[in-house]
Formats: sequence, C-alpha cells, structure tokens
Amino acid sequence: MSEAVKPQRLALMHLFWWFMFAQGGVIAALLIPVHVLVQGILGPLGIVPVVDRHYDTWVSVLGNPLVKLYLLVLIAFPFFHFAHRLRYLLVDFGVPAAKSVPAQVVFYGGAVVVTLVTVYILLTTVPI
Amino acid sequence: MPDKTITVRATRFDPERDREPRMQSYEVPFTDESMVVLDALNHVKSHIDGSLSYRWSCRMGICGSCGMMVNGTPKLTCNAFLRDYWPRPVVVQPLNNFPIIRDLVIDMDDFMHKLKSIKPWIIRKQELPLGAGEHRQSNEQIDDFRQFSECINCMLCYAACPVYGLNNEFLGPAATALARRYNLDSRDQGLKERLPVLGEAEGIWECSFVGECSVVCPKGVDPAKAIQQTKLDTTMRFVLPYGNRE
Amino acid sequence: MTTEATTEATTEVPAAPREYRWRMPANWWTRNRHYFLYTVREFTALPLALWLLWLLVEIRRAGDGPARYAPHSSTAFVVFSVVVLAFALYHSYTFLTLAGTILHFKVLDRPVPARLIVLSQFAAWAAASVVVAFVLIWFAHE
Repeated sequence: MSEAVKPQRLALMHLFWWFMFAQGGVIAALLIPVHVLVQGILGPLGIVPVVDRHYDTWVSVLGNPLVKLYLLVLIAFPFFHFAHRLRYLLVDFGVPAAKSVPAQVVFYGGAVVVTLVTVYILLTTVPI
Repeated sequence: MPDKTITVRATRFDPERDREPRMQSYEVPFTDESMVVLDALNHVKSHIDGSLSYRWSCRMGICGSCGMMVNGTPKLTCNAFLRDYWPRPVVVQPLNNFPIIRDLVIDMDDFMHKLKSIKPWIIRKQELPLGAGEHRQSNEQIDDFRQFSECINCMLCYAACPVYGLNNEFLGPAATALARRYNLDSRDQGLKERLPVLGEAEGIWECSFVGECSVVCPKGVDPAKAIQQTKLDTTMRFVLPYGNRE
Repeated sequence: MTTEATTEATTEVPAAPREYRWRMPANWWTRNRHYFLYTVREFTALPLALWLLWLLVEIRRAGDGPARYAPHSSTAFVVFSVVVLAFALYHSYTFLTLAGTILHFKVLDRPVPARLIVLSQFAAWAAASVVVAFVLIWFAHE
C-alpha cells in the first residue's frame, strides 16, 4: 500500500488554541460555579446580600480597576475554552466543516469579539 | 442433562460476494468455565464452519492479534470469558473504525503506517562507541516510560476512539503512547524527530480526551494520559523556551 | 519466437477485493455511557457561556443609572441559574479531575502522585470559591 507523504510540521495555531482552551478551562472550573451560586441563585432569592443586588454597591465595586481586571479574566478566558470545546463538539456530531479555517475564524474570532466587547463594557460602564 | 451451549453471533463478510456484512449464529458447547470467546471461535472454525476468518495467535493476551468487538466493546477475545456473557448470546464483530477485509479481519495498514511514522526505536544523535559500554539506566528512569512500553499494538484503543472513527487521519492513542515511551526514555535523543508527527494538525491536537482508549486498553498503558501529557509538554516547549525539554 | 511468447504471457493482476468501509454511526455518542457523559461534559460549554453573557449584561446595566438599574430577579432566571450551576459543577469536577492526568512533575526526583495533584486542584477550587463568595457578599454591605 502506497504511503502518502504528507508535510509534517508542528501546527502552532492548534497548539495555541489548545493552550487557551486549557487556561480558560481552569478559570471556568475554579470561578464560575461560585458566581452562578451566589449571583444567580442566592442573591436573587434574597438568601444572602449580594453586591450586584443594589445599584450603589454594584457600581462601587465595578469602579475598581482590580475588579475590572478580574471580570475580564473571568469572562474572556473561558470563552476561548468554550469556543474550542463547542467547535470540537460539532466535529464529534459529524460536521467535519467545523475543522476548516473559516470555522476556526468563527469560533475563535467569536471569543476574541467577546473579549473586546467585555473590555469595552468594563471601560465604559462606571469609568475609572 | 443437556450439554450447556452458548450462542455466538459473528460478522460474516465475503468481499467477493457480499455487499455488506451480515451476522451468522453458531451454537457452541460451553463445557468449561474457563472458556473464552477465542475458544468459541476456534470451535466454530474447527467443527462447524471452517470459512470463518479471524486473527489470533498467543491466546494469552500478549500478542495483540485477537482484538474484536465483543457485545459492542473492543476486547481481546482471548481475554473475554464466556461465563461473563452466558446465557445471553455473544456478538463478535470486527474492530470498529477500521475497514473490514473479511469476516472479523480488519485492515490495519493505517495503524502500521502511523506506528512507523513516530519512529518507535531509540534514536541517538551519536551512537556510543562499543568501548564505552552499555547505556546505563536506573529503575527510576525506566519507571518514567515503563507504563507506555506495555503496549501490545492490539488496536483496541483505536476501536474505542470516536475521534479516530470520525477521522482516520488522527494519529491515535497507541502511536502517541509509543512515541512518548521513546521520548521519555533516557537513552533516546529523538524527540525533535518525532515532534512534527505528534504536533501536526492531525496529531495530538485532534484528541478531545474522551478517555475510552485507556478504559479498553488490556495492558493499562493509559494512552489518554500519554496524549494529554504530550500536549502539555509540547506546549511548554514553546511557552518556556529554555525550560523543561524532555 | 521468444518475443511472441513473452507478449502472450502477460496476465492481469486481479484487483484486490473491495474492503468494507467503516462508517461512523451518527448516534455513536449514545451507544455507551462513557461516550454520553463525555458529550455532556463537552456540552457544558454552552450553558456556561450563556450565563457569562448574562453577567456581562448585568455589568452593563450598572450604566443604567440608579433609577433604572434592575438586576435579574425572575423565577425563570433562578431556574436558569440552577441548571447552569449543575452544568458548571459537572464541568469543574471533570476538568479538575482530568487535570490530575495531564499535570505531571517531580519533587525531589519522585513523581507526584496523580491523586495528590487532583486534591490540590479541588483545594484551589474550594479556596477560590470561598474568597469570591466572601467578596460578593461582603461588599453588599455598604
């Protein structure tokens, strides 16, 4: 059987997206559950006082540049994790087009867009 | 008292006559609790239907020849005990994700090609002269790669891997585990030669850590671990330019 | 004549009989408990993404001014958060457990056991959660 000789080289872009996937996964795993629990369930149900329940308290923390940095990390990094996972989930469901370059642009580009939108929102809402 | 039997349903495919595989049932005497699926297949071939084709050799779980799907799970048929299935029928099919040549025999050329591509041998930049003696290696150094050296090339991991099933270009579990076995061997200096194959687009990056490869491996190689660690090590080579270069 | 004999002797090599090509069943991920749980694990990305987008909206709402600011409070939202929390917990559990497989290093020339690495991941998760919860609740008192 003839052995096709394909060019073999380190796929740096794959390496990079995997690295972002791993970073985003760590952030998502460590931080998202507590936010969902406190801001998504306990706060709205009034079980504990939560900082985003009232305008004054929410605005006062959002004005803090360290908080803005934290929120950027919390939101932007996981989206690279989500983009990578969801793209490969499509591949798993039998959509090989998800491996194409246009698909990569859509998914990782989407994560980049979310990052930029997050930066914009953090800088313009309650400016420092 | 009637003799105990077990039903074996096996895939039949004659490439010259059949357009599609079909199943055929055989009643096999189940006379000994230590009987395995391979024994049942051998009984079929010897006494019932000599045309049944399948691979086997050592019948003791070391040659890696007799891998087949048994009731939907990739197994070594020499390691699948009839008593675990009886009285239900045992369904034996060729390994998933591979082309079928005939009956239970699959085309393993793709795997052989991939195995060769990762250069599963010690690569030295310069051979030691004979007078220098043998390569010395401590037990700890052997422990570094021992687990990955247990691979018997049975391809159960490829049959279990849905990524490989969806995309035959994927390098796959065993090839990566064996590449790591050599990359971690203190005598080897061939990491750079293996890196392009491991790190190419259809190499380790296609793996999404389903993990089924390690579940079905009969030798405890844990190829899933090998692939994930290779991803991390390959990434670290670029993140830390002078860092850990195993 | 010799040349005639050689041309007469050509035979056709028969084509190899066709192999049966493997086709991946579309429902492969439902056929096995491990495959199914793997798919759930991958899917967690979607609800988590949606919830983070909600958080972004909540941040944006701070620009609405004190009169118009209204944090999400509906029952539907709480139900959504409960569902997302289930997915988030499953994501964290699987991701941090698998981190034990991928992370490998030696301390004093001995490999650190995977169980210890996983334990440290879960400890980090607990610590981070406590700190964040504290901040979210403490700063609600003004």
